Amino acid sequence: MYRIFLLLVLILPFITSCRKESPYSPDRVIIGIPSDIQTLNPLYAYTVDEGAISELLFLSLVTFKWDEEKGNLKTVPMLATDWIWNSDSTSLSFNLREDVYWSDGIQCTAEDVLYSFDLYSDPVVQSKLLGSFKSLYLNDDSSIDLDKSFKILNPFSIQINFRSDAAPVLPEIIFPLIPKHVFSKYERKDIATAKENLEPVTNGAFKLSDWSKNQSVTLRINENSFLYNNSSIKEIIFKVVPDYNSRLTQLKKGEIDLTELVKPDDISELKRYAHLSIKPVKGREYDYVGWNNIDPDIYQREGRFISHKLFGDARVRRALTHAINRKEILEEYLLNYGELAAGPVSPIFKEAIDPNLKPHQYNPSKAKQLLAESGWTETDKDGILQKGKLQFRFTLHIPSGNPRRSYAATVIKNNLRAVGIDVNVITLEPGVLIEEFYSRKIDAWMMGWFVPIPVDLKMSWYSDLEVTPVNFVGYGSAEADQLLDKMEKRISVDEYNQLLKEFQAVINRDEPMTFMYWLDNITVYNNRISNMDISPLGVVHHCWEWTINN
Amino acid sequence: MNKKIVRIFLRRVLSSAVVLFLLITFIFFLVRISPGDPSQRFISPAFSPQLAESVRQSFRLDEPLFNQYTVFIRNFAAGDLGISYNYRRPVLFVIGDFLPFTVTFALVSFALQLLISISLAYYTVKRKNSLTDKIVSGTMLAAYATPVFVAGVILIYIFSVQLNLFPSSGIAPIDVHTYGFFRKILAYAHHLFLPFIALSMVEVAILYKYLRDNLNDVFNKTFILNLRANGIKEKTILLRHVIPNAANPLISVTGIELGILFGGTLIVEVIFGLPGMGRLTIEAILTRDYPLVIGCTLIAGVLMIFSNLTADIVRAKIDKRVLIGALN
Amino acid sequence: MKSRIKIWHFILLLWLLIVIFRFDRIIDAAGFLFLSAQLIFTAPGFVFDQLDFSMVDFIVSVKLIFLLPFILYIFRKKAAIIFRSSNLSSSVVILLLFGFIFSPVISNTHPDFYKNIGMTRLLPPLSTVLILHLKEVATHTEGATGNFLKLKESLIKKPFDEKIIFIDSLIVADEVVYYQKGLPVKMSLTGIEMKNSLPLITKRMFILGTDEFGRDIFTRLMYGTRTSLSIGFLAVLISLLAGLILGYLAGYAGGVIDLILSRLTDMFLAFPVIFFVVLILALFGNNFISIVLVLGFSTWMSLFKIVKAEVLSVKTKDFFQTAKLIGLSKTRLLLREVLPVIMVPVIVNIVFQYGNVILAESALSYLGLGIGNELPSWGSMIESGQEYIYKAWWMIFFPGLILTGTLLAANSIGRNISKYFNPRLD
Repeated sequence: MYRIFLLLVLILPFITSCRKESPYSPDRVIIGIPSDIQTLNPLYAYTVDEGAISELLFLSLVTFKWDEEKGNLKTVPMLATDWIWNSDSTSLSFNLREDVYWSDGIQCTAEDVLYSFDLYSDPVVQSKLLGSFKSLYLNDDSSIDLDKSFKILNPFSIQINFRSDAAPVLPEIIFPLIPKHVFSKYERKDIATAKENLEPVTNGAFKLSDWSKNQSVTLRINENSFLYNNSSIKEIIFKVVPDYNSRLTQLKKGEIDLTELVKPDDISELKRYAHLSIKPVKGREYDYVGWNNIDPDIYQREGRFISHKLFGDARVRRALTHAINRKEILEEYLLNYGELAAGPVSPIFKEAIDPNLKPHQYNPSKAKQLLAESGWTETDKDGILQKGKLQFRFTLHIPSGNPRRSYAATVIKNNLRAVGIDVNVITLEPGVLIEEFYSRKIDAWMMGWFVPIPVDLKMSWYSDLEVTPVNFVGYGSAEADQLLDKMEKRISVDEYNQLLKEFQAVINRDEPMTFMYWLDNITVYNNRISNMDISPLGVVHHCWEWTINN
Repeated sequence: MNKKIVRIFLRRVLSSAVVLFLLITFIFFLVRISPGDPSQRFISPAFSPQLAESVRQSFRLDEPLFNQYTVFIRNFAAGDLGISYNYRRPVLFVIGDFLPFTVTFALVSFALQLLISISLAYYTVKRKNSLTDKIVSGTMLAAYATPVFVAGVILIYIFSVQLNLFPSSGIAPIDVHTYGFFRKILAYAHHLFLPFIALSMVEVAILYKYLRDNLNDVFNKTFILNLRANGIKEKTILLRHVIPNAANPLISVTGIELGILFGGTLIVEVIFGLPGMGRLTIEAILTRDYPLVIGCTLIAGVLMIFSNLTADIVRAKIDKRVLIGALN
Repeated sequence: MKSRIKIWHFILLLWLLIVIFRFDRIIDAAGFLFLSAQLIFTAPGFVFDQLDFSMVDFIVSVKLIFLLPFILYIFRKKAAIIFRSSNLSSSVVILLLFGFIFSPVISNTHPDFYKNIGMTRLLPPLSTVLILHLKEVATHTEGATGNFLKLKESLIKKPFDEKIIFIDSLIVADEVVYYQKGLPVKMSLTGIEMKNSLPLITKRMFILGTDEFGRDIFTRLMYGTRTSLSIGFLAVLISLLAGLILGYLAGYAGGVIDLILSRLTDMFLAFPVIFFVVLILALFGNNFISIVLVLGFSTWMSLFKIVKAEVLSVKTKDFFQTAKLIGLSKTRLLLREVLPVIMVPVIVNIVFQYGNVILAESALSYLGLGIGNELPSWGSMIESGQEYIYKAWWMIFFPGLILTGTLLAANSIGRNISKYFNPRLD
């Protein structure tokens, strides 16, 4: 009896495994994501996945599509049917759709738009866009001065006024809008913990159908929405699969339909599966090695900016770039799913790129020559360069949990050793590493950075370090500052692009950091999904237009 | 006698409470003196330093450490562990989402581990030095020495990738809420089979080793021989005499092993993507979600102490003599 | 199973293998030793400048290779253990020790060496690759110091080498065309090392394959033995000292001290060790030293309990009371009277502990909290191996195998010791 029972227990799972569950459902798409989202409120959608999901649930005034040819944004109507700039571009009026209702039946009006601006900019609410409405009229605490900035013309029409000295662009005031009647019930400070962050009242193309914590988020199409189309997908599920290899396995087995950020190394294997398509998208994210241009010790002690002992010299920084075999990493680790970076503007912005500006080539002898020019020579035969008493030794900090960067670090260490520079690699947890280079405490580190759409470089490269905390390397050049100041003026797109090109030439010469490569985002998906538009704006962007061919 | 038991029991509970208090105090200060800043995650690139400071203020991180501690203790005494920075919900609610899985999985696994190891030990003790004995003992030794993460990866590779028998991650299919009761149970069993094997290999090997030595000892005792000589049925001997005698030392191990199990699910949760306390704790640590770290610590401590206490009580139940020593 | 192979047979066999396979290297090394000895007298400053860790390491290794047979012979009486029959666990231990001590002699590359990633990455075990040698630029001066530098360069390997290129095949005409992954590269004959008017081509075999950079797994495994065994040793040492001292204190002094220490122990025991370790490492960063410290300080509790219990029972014994009355100091009481009594359980405990610590190091690596990529260790090899598990099984298999072997060996040695002292146990 006992033995039979034991036998049963042991074979039970095998019995269950005989019956295969069919993950396929004619109008459902399952997307594998590495970690669960933590909120459905767009105010707090800090991660990429949270942002993407909140854009499916909540409408924005307008939406954008990526124009591959020109490398810029195309504006498409969404909640607003049309928008009109006034003659001197200081105000913009939106006319809203009248057929949009929140999921609890209340109509969506211009009041919601106004309220959303109010909440997003309120320091008490601490939204993810706090401090980013620089073209509007602001109060002292950086919240928007609502009376000056907005004028509700009628329930479905709102006018937005910009400061006359600002150069406003449409994308900076576009974000998912939230319902006033829901959140005005709460005190401002309690909005972060409101229950509607988890059970949202929405007006978007999709509505929340189920959320099992750390398992899956299920969205159903909103049949009442003007975006609804009978032939499109009916359900989209974000399934949490933390382990990368498991995501690939499930993709091969058809348990999930799509996943992003696939490693180049796995592409050849995935190509053997006929039901999978591979779509690399050129990115606007790059890896870089940050060389602290300023001396960290003196900065910590006295707050002064003095050139760094090792990396203060542009020739040394260029030499370091020449000494690192970025091409080998790109070819062998990224398998050419990426592009060598020449500067801080991604090649996807086709009109802002100067085709004649080439990335620095791998050339150890040129590196040695540049180092010798700036006084670094080998005098004592121990294989390490010297300048006076100072040996060329430093610590490179890399974030943990990122195989690509630790791969690159190993190559960098080896390459630099070959030109006589001793590198000690230390792995730090990302949170700690970020804090270290935010406070300019370390000499060298490797991290990633991105270019926003539309391109905005001032925050990363302006020399006034008090207003640009993300100029991590502490780069400062009067020439660059001048160009950046000009870009903030009201100028035409062509002029702006011309300035960008000049700016990139300056950066390429000064090489404030070693730009490694632009990274492709490789998305792999099941062929049964069609009508996809995977672009630098994101994968599930506009996914209510997807269809399924069975 | 009874009064004494109660008193000893209360003393034990009290000292456990002291230990828990020490533990969370220790962790409280540890996470706060460590490098890393919880507000980092919520700061966008366009943020000015003043705004960053206001975020820190809202987390009360700008106050002196000791003030933070007194506030924490006051809230803690009122049963409030604070609000998780990441989830923006009360810590206890967040833990409530993850704890049931871990406890259920650990307990069910433990029961099955006991069952398997008892059966194997009994089976091989009866056939000492036979080929099966050697094979089983050898396998157990190998199981003992195979690291969980190596075993997990290999299991996934063979049973999930190559043979396609089991899913490689998750605890249930997407549409499990539409299933009937039995189908649900089957679906869970199907998903948790590989994690169970990976988790149990080492534990079964340890339990097996203990049990086999104990059973062997007991079987060789003279009173068993006497019972046998008196013609008492083998099954009665086994159930009435052998197992109770062999179980005693086992139970004290059990408490420790169960505690280890609650922690040991961590790597299994990572490999198989299970939504348990282990992953929650790691995530909380990595994102510097201080209230959640302390909440998780507390729960882990309670589970550990509770399992030890239970083991001691069960042991006392079986053998009255150890009662006082055990509860001390 | 009694095998007829004694442990010293096994040691000698391994020694012979090294001598046969690395004969030319050992001969060169002898020359190098001789030359350095000479230079110490003629140019001491120069030798001192050249001295670094890898050189000392190499010299010690080579000297031990020469001395090993003599050492075996001299200590044949004292170390009777080497005359016991060899079994699996003792063989594993011997192998590990050989890897630990002789890695610079056994291996002829630097553990971090790679070149032409595309040509060598993820090669399966026993692969061979052709090497094209470039002409040496004569940088070294003549004379003894020049010879010394030349020999040093050929013996003590660096993580890079500008004088070789890994190739698939090669065509020689007016100039040389070599192929890498099917792509031709042209090169003039003048830069190439020639032999009999043909370019010098040698082969390199990767016995256990290569990793994602094209580094030799065999070499890394051996150097990794050093890292992993050192981590285990240091961590166990810390745990031993902490457990011994605190346990003795608690047991001997009793009272408040005992109470405090016992609650402290309970506190550590009330929290799954792995969480504690992960917490500390994630909060304060992970590197060699922090891992040793954290693993050491998270495993002392069981030793504490053993020591305390033994001290409590010893305290009441007559011999202890006598010793105390004679007036022995506390330290001597601990060393003379207590230590011998608790020796056996402590040794058994630390042997098991040793296995657990090594296992913990690699488990931490799996979670991305290992010692990082500065030093090769089994854990870090397994960590990178799991990323390539479907493409390169050898990357995780060999370190996994050696890890399992070490655990088994530690386990069976621990059991043998306790069996030896407590024969009553099966």
